[in-house]
Amino acid sequence: MRTRTAILAAVAAGALLASAACSVEKDDPAAANAACGPDRQYLIGMSQANNAEPYRQVMNNDVTTAAEAVKGFEVVVADAAQDNSKQVADVENFLTQKINLLIISPNEAKPLTAVVKKAYDAGIPVIVLDRKVEGDAYTAFIGGDNVAIGKAAGEFYATRLLPDGGKVIEIAGLPGSTPAAERAQGFRDGIAANPKIQIVASQPGDWLREKGQSVADALLKAHPDAAAIYAHNDPMAEGAYLAAKAAGLDKKIKFTGIDALPVPSGGIKAVEEGRLAATFQYATGGREAVDLAKKILIDCSKDVPRSTTLGTQQITAENAKDVYAKLGGS
Amino acid sequence: MTLLKTPPALARLTGGRRELVDRLFAVQSLVALLVVFIVAILASPTRDGEILFLTAGNLGNIVRAVSEIGIIAVGMTFVVLLGGIDLSVGAILGLSAVGTATLMVDSGYGIAPTVPAVLAIGAVIGALQGYATARLGIQSFIVTLAGLQVARGLARIWSGGLGIPIAYGDGPLQAPPAFEILNGSINGVVPVPAVLFLAVGVAAIVVLRTTAFARHVYAIGGNEKAARLSGVPVTRVKVAVFAVCGLLAAVAGVIHAGQLNQGSPNDGAGYELDAIAAVVIGGTSLSGGSGSMGGTLAGALMLGVLNNILALNNIDANVQLLIKGLVIVAAAGLQRLRRGVA
Repeated sequence: MRTRTAILAAVAAGALLASAACSVEKDDPAAANAACGPDRQYLIGMSQANNAEPYRQVMNNDVTTAAEAVKGFEVVVADAAQDNSKQVADVENFLTQKINLLIISPNEAKPLTAVVKKAYDAGIPVIVLDRKVEGDAYTAFIGGDNVAIGKAAGEFYATRLLPDGGKVIEIAGLPGSTPAAERAQGFRDGIAANPKIQIVASQPGDWLREKGQSVADALLKAHPDAAAIYAHNDPMAEGAYLAAKAAGLDKKIKFTGIDALPVPSGGIKAVEEGRLAATFQYATGGREAVDLAKKILIDCSKDVPRSTTLGTQQITAENAKDVYAKLGGS
Repeated sequence: MTLLKTPPALARLTGGRRELVDRLFAVQSLVALLVVFIVAILASPTRDGEILFLTAGNLGNIVRAVSEIGIIAVGMTFVVLLGGIDLSVGAILGLSAVGTATLMVDSGYGIAPTVPAVLAIGAVIGALQGYATARLGIQSFIVTLAGLQVARGLARIWSGGLGIPIAYGDGPLQAPPAFEILNGSINGVVPVPAVLFLAVGVAAIVVLRTTAFARHVYAIGGNEKAARLSGVPVTRVKVAVFAVCGLLAAVAGVIHAGQLNQGSPNDGAGYELDAIAAVVIGGTSLSGGSGSMGGTLAGALMLGVLNNILALNNIDANVQLLIKGLVIVAAAGLQRLRRGVA
């Protein structure tokens, strides 16, 4: 009897596959998706690598709010929770739903390349955000320029924050990650104009607030005469601020971060509230992606920029409030 | 304890009753799979009159998406039947994916030496864990928690912390094109990983139905002391069970590398929990001794169908977590009901 149950299980599972094998799709999705023009309904799939990162949550918000303003756009968001396999399945599910356009921020390049190509080859326009895929099977890429952001921060140090020079502690991102290397390089290019600025220490804080705090704790003991702390993102800058406050150095030292997310826990608010001297925006590209989607689907444009590099903006006490409102912060 | 004093006839009787209940519950998980499947059809969105859930590509995707978890869950079922748990499987998957990419691409070995070597690594780690829990008497939860850290650490060291890409071709630093079959499908419809999953599942059903080894597993899970006293080679069985579990996790790791064209040391994180969920939904008791492999296969497929239908209906990712949590609690509740019956 139990054998029979077991066989039943196998047969049922087999039936699943067999039914899959028998009902081969007949329509041509490429033809259906080639359509464009105003006064139509469009389903846009947004495949996110990891909703748990605030930056990516803001990216989703940017995409959905921008799409709400476009008549005929409906956006569905899938979260891969940092799992490459899950993101492949997410895109496959979008294809099943016959989306008209795919926006994807890949968890990693190599594992997502094949499924992105599959969507692109099926005639679905693909906009890749922030992280790239390999090859050229996508419609457009939108991303920030971390070297330029680091350089903007460096120039701010050279001309405004420490015009008379001083010692700087750097709290870097995760070792081995590209943004960490680029934000470090750009900063060094930026401060080169002012030889009196000196980087006395650089330690990784792994992008984390708590790690930024413990690293700053240690470094401030070695360098209590530091004039400023340059952190590769806002949470680490906030962590460094907490460490300095505990050491009674928070009034003496200036702090800057990067990212400038328009959320209550983000860097713009920290600047507005006086904890950080400045932060530099790392744009999500969400709005720009929807603008491109509009060009492709509604304006039927065949000629969209293959690669868009997003600029940064400097946020200090003067403009923090305005920028927060402009970026749709709540 | 009571088994020692129970007359053989009565032991057979209670065993028979237990088997009857098990049988009912194994069928139950199949019925549940069928119900979930029908609900999914009814809940499926349609485009141009076509039920999206039932399209060929989608059904293939469902089985492909659960194939790795399913294969791990098969190994996990043996461990859980034994009354143990294996938390190291996700990390072994990551280690195996890294091993596959490194040996095949960086070291330039072909498929033939690479795959057996990777499977052997998984089996050896499993066997060591089995030995530690059987001989040193440390709970498998602790041993495999440690194994998780060790396997993850090895994967990161071996890979240098970064994913190792797999490119196909005949040149140096390229993998043999034949390996790409893991990313392909039969007739363009039935994905190869899905076929492997079902093959592993059917083989496990046969093993659990017909071998003395399986009877030993059930006996140890039911009452280890009694099993030992009646001559079951407890240590040997435990080592074998954990070795099989590690081996199957490595199989899933090889498939993982093939599907994603990469061996990443961080992959497979949390897979152990999905596999345990599949086993529990399939009706196998976490206290050991009762459950079925058919139930686990049904449980894994149920998870796949559930994930898929939630995604097709664009249910918010956070709400999806809630729903999946409730399903697991419901399955565990049914188990409790079963203990009441038995």
